[in-house]
Amino acid sequence: MSKSRLIKLGLIILVFALVPAILVGFDKGYYYQIATIAAIFMLLAASLHLVTGVAGLLHLGHAALYGVGAYVAAILGAEYGIGFTIGVPLAGLSAAAIAFLVALPTMRLMSIYFAVATLGIGQMLFLIFQNWVGLTKGPNGVMLFSGLNLFGFEIDTDLGIYYVVASIVALSILVLNRLSHSYYGNALRSLREDDQCASAMGINVTVMKIQAFVISSFFAGIAGALWAYTTGYISPNDFQFSQSILILTMVVVGGLGSLPGALIGALLLIILPEMLRSVGDIRNIIVGVMMFGAILFLPKGLFGEVSALNFARRMLGQGWAAKKGEKGIGWK
Amino acid sequence: MKLTRRTAVLLTLATSLTPIAAFAQDSVKIGYQLPLTGNTAQYGQGFHEAAEIALTKFNASGVLPVPVEIIYEDSRSDAKEGVTIARKFVDDDDIVGVLGDFTSTVSMAAAQVYKKAGMVQLSQSASHPDFAKISKWQFRNITTQDQEGAVNAAWMIEKGIKKVAVIAEQTDWGQSAANGFVEPFEAAGGEVVYTEFFNRGLADFRSIITKIEEHEPDAIYTGFFYEDGAQFLKQVKQLGADTPVYSTSAAYNDTLIELAGDATEGLFLTATFLPSRQDENVQSFVTEWKKTHDVAPGQFPAQAYDAVNIMLEAVVRAYPDITRESLRDAVAETTDFPGVTGNTSFDDNGEPLKELTKATVSNGVFVEVQ
Repeated sequence: MSKSRLIKLGLIILVFALVPAILVGFDKGYYYQIATIAAIFMLLAASLHLVTGVAGLLHLGHAALYGVGAYVAAILGAEYGIGFTIGVPLAGLSAAAIAFLVALPTMRLMSIYFAVATLGIGQMLFLIFQNWVGLTKGPNGVMLFSGLNLFGFEIDTDLGIYYVVASIVALSILVLNRLSHSYYGNALRSLREDDQCASAMGINVTVMKIQAFVISSFFAGIAGALWAYTTGYISPNDFQFSQSILILTMVVVGGLGSLPGALIGALLLIILPEMLRSVGDIRNIIVGVMMFGAILFLPKGLFGEVSALNFARRMLGQGWAAKKGEKGIGWK
Repeated sequence: MKLTRRTAVLLTLATSLTPIAAFAQDSVKIGYQLPLTGNTAQYGQGFHEAAEIALTKFNASGVLPVPVEIIYEDSRSDAKEGVTIARKFVDDDDIVGVLGDFTSTVSMAAAQVYKKAGMVQLSQSASHPDFAKISKWQFRNITTQDQEGAVNAAWMIEKGIKKVAVIAEQTDWGQSAANGFVEPFEAAGGEVVYTEFFNRGLADFRSIITKIEEHEPDAIYTGFFYEDGAQFLKQVKQLGADTPVYSTSAAYNDTLIELAGDATEGLFLTATFLPSRQDENVQSFVTEWKKTHDVAPGQFPAQAYDAVNIMLEAVVRAYPDITRESLRDAVAETTDFPGVTGNTSFDDNGEPLKELTKATVSNGVFVEVQ
């Protein structure tokens, strides 16, 4: 078996056998909870990675789109009896639709102006969650009593929930992986480096930016639906600006433009504060210092883009491998 | 690359060296989830200190042959962390009951876990109208706004006030504060001429005040905490409006007077805790508190102090066969618990029934209105 196959198999075994085995071994709800939250934030970081890391658009409103997904799933589930199976894709599509609408006017903005616009969008959506009492129940939040019902099967064990969340997250990350390590991803990277030059090469800059933004929001929406279903109660406070910053920090600490980096960043920033719980009140300071150190000593991230691309090319990309007697063809 | 890997390994190593706290055997363990860091840390720190005062006193009294231990976990007022802590408490078979959290958001998210696992949860401050209704496991030690609103409405009617403007913060609590007042007030024949919700931390209330004054109410009913309250009252004074202002126990805090000075003179409010009350319980708590603070404790630490004591009393009732089930029943049995926030009983929903004190600010201090 080739090294590439081994690594893929290893990842699958890790997510679907090793981690569950550890969770079952400890049999603590606490570890299941951390695993679930870590998975949700890995998806959030991976989706933001597409916009901010690959396409280079500083996006400060990601948590709001995550919120759109959560609210759509929770309201559909609580008020209209639309369960998990349909609710999750609908949550993703709604977040994508809203992202499309807000993307139309903002995508022509450059750099810092785009960042400020997304900041505004995030705040607007937050204020809608908070103040449109008729729809979102405002600050009272939405309670979702229906459990996780997948294709008619009620999933109520911790392990079952982990498998459902892990499968959806893994599938989503697979899609994001294909998008960011492909010709498409390279085109997005070219916008990041020099959008005028990319445009001159025949890339439709605005359309590509909108696509990246919408796709990313779709997955944020999925993550929101997972949060709503695994927690059972959501309220506007879960989708504040600080959450956007948290997700952005995961991407930056992990390595801008690197998908494995974003995943490692998410894992680190979810697990680290939990591990430090016994230290007491200074745990946040330790996390802060570590983040500062990471940026200072590893400005390219824990798993920088160049290493990530090499890794993806060598280990994950069969299509790019040089066949016997042929020349490698680069990206596909 | 080399540096990257080595540093990553070091980071992982450093984080895995988390100390494991050793606990004494044979004690009764209670969990307390609260924000010890983050935006609302000032409240959580207050709860922590109040809980320690109550616990120290209890353990020194020797009512139980074994000590009670409280395990504090920091939720940062973040629902993610709150739920995680709840799962952690539920995992620990020694923990038989839980106190907290501070905000309704976190308390309600964590409540889903406690409901499923069957663990009593007593919050000193979750004010969401549906919190105690989540399941039989949820209790709270904060008066509902239905109760405070009704007392305020009756008080105003008694004083001949007919037209009222209502403002409240745009939170679950603010919504219930407004509704809890408006319903009994209108039922008693009063008229609400203007209603407005504002987002917490609003710096400029002047446009709201101007609009209130346009409607010429006899009084203003306000649902705010002391931080916003201070801003509001100062600006009311600046604009020269002399409409009397009524408020709830959430505004009751010495810091309000500190921040807004004589703008608070003549503010009417309902309260459950007055540190100046000549009552043995109150005075002993206030004395202990003042050993580490310059000012008297506010309403929230007092609520936490009582919540802890209610839990401890329930522990005594359930001892020695304490299970999560028996402790829950013992908490539910609480009747006329003599706390610093008045006598407390729980109704069938886990809502506290408390006596409310009417108070006003006079010469820079809160005084009881007889």
